[in-house]
Amino acid sequence: MMRRYGLAVLSGGLFGAGLRISGMTDTIKVQNWLDVFGTWDPTLAFVLGGAILPMAVAWRVAARLERSYLGLALPAAPSRDLDRNLIAGSILFGMGWALAGLCPGPALASISFGGIGGLVFLLAMLGGMVAAPALRVRLDGAAPAARPRSKMDIRALTPTYAVSPQIELSDLPAIKAAGFTTVIDNRPDGEIPAHLHTPHMKAAAEALGLTFVANPVIGGALTMENVRLQSKVMADATGPVFAYCASGNRCSVVWALMNAGHRSTDDLIRTPAKYGYNLEPLRGQIEAFAAESGAGID
Amino acid sequence: MLDWVWGFVGGLMIGGAAAVYLLFNGRIMGASGIIGELVDRTGWGNWAERLAFLAGLIGVPYLLSLLIGGETHLTSNWLVIVLAGLLVGIGTRLANGCTSGHGVCGISRLSLRGIVATLIYLLAGGLTIALLRQVIGVI
Repeated sequence: MMRRYGLAVLSGGLFGAGLRISGMTDTIKVQNWLDVFGTWDPTLAFVLGGAILPMAVAWRVAARLERSYLGLALPAAPSRDLDRNLIAGSILFGMGWALAGLCPGPALASISFGGIGGLVFLLAMLGGMVAAPALRVRLDGAAPAARPRSKMDIRALTPTYAVSPQIELSDLPAIKAAGFTTVIDNRPDGEIPAHLHTPHMKAAAEALGLTFVANPVIGGALTMENVRLQSKVMADATGPVFAYCASGNRCSVVWALMNAGHRSTDDLIRTPAKYGYNLEPLRGQIEAFAAESGAGID
Repeated sequence: MLDWVWGFVGGLMIGGAAAVYLLFNGRIMGASGIIGELVDRTGWGNWAERLAFLAGLIGVPYLLSLLIGGETHLTSNWLVIVLAGLLVGIGTRLANGCTSGHGVCGISRLSLRGIVATLIYLLAGGLTIALLRQVIGVI
């Protein structure tokens, strides 16, 4: 999709031109903005104000969109974690910004006319960026960041299949760490907050090396196709499978139906009941499935 | 024209650039993230889009500098340059954002992290300048 790259050049170019025109590539103007007790220059406040105005409108427009105008996924809702990395990083960045008067955008925008000093700054900055991940891990280890409140609860129906209420993006590392290789989303996007829609979950899961499959089950209107797809994903999985929906109930129903005939109906009802899922009303349906299929997948 | 008018006009262009990147490319325009995730390899999945952005970010100011010139007035003290570069590189990656990502894109979205990060780096920057200029008398 060439338009995507053309628009990235346009956006970068407009950003660079704005930095040059606003005076933000002049390190003295930036240092004077920070020098509240000395030669204070308020220009940067106008730059920031001018930049926030169109962006505030853009966020409102984006909130009404499912996907970007090019059909790409929009950013997830922002985290509210005020962790140590954010605070320590911002302090270090503020100090470096004041020392030389350059932040990353202007450092790049001025590289063609910033001389050898500008080049050295950029190389040092890139060096710092290479070193940062190692430092970040150390800070995380010192103080595990508070996770956003999540409803996740790993409820194993079998050693290879667990169900859970709705998960958050931040739950995926724990799912990976628990040994699961595949995540199934049994909830239609229409009933989930936008930041947890399939594209976001899929991207985050795949970034961790997890397989992610959306198999939306409409409450009370489960289809044969749902059962078939869940079975296929189970068969293809290289390790334990983790399925979630609103409560874990639909994941349990699909599991009971795909195992009908393979396990006793009593067992298929009793196992989810341990976690409070009542499949008793489906007894007839499970038995009908058992008579039809004969063999299922555990 | 007055400096603040140029500042405001340039600011509108910066915000416009961020709006294009959000509404079309679906991404937050943060300079430190766009280049930092290339450097630490976490952003190689869409490297071409990042390089395209950087090409515009570097190329257009170059063309402008041919017309209206450009002068960064960067200090000539190598130690300060290297130290500042390292601090900016490490700090923005730890904080996951800089003036564009946390400042422009975060504040306009009323993001708690963006607002807190911006207040902290402004405060840290102000204190650093005050210490170096007013107290010690360097820079």
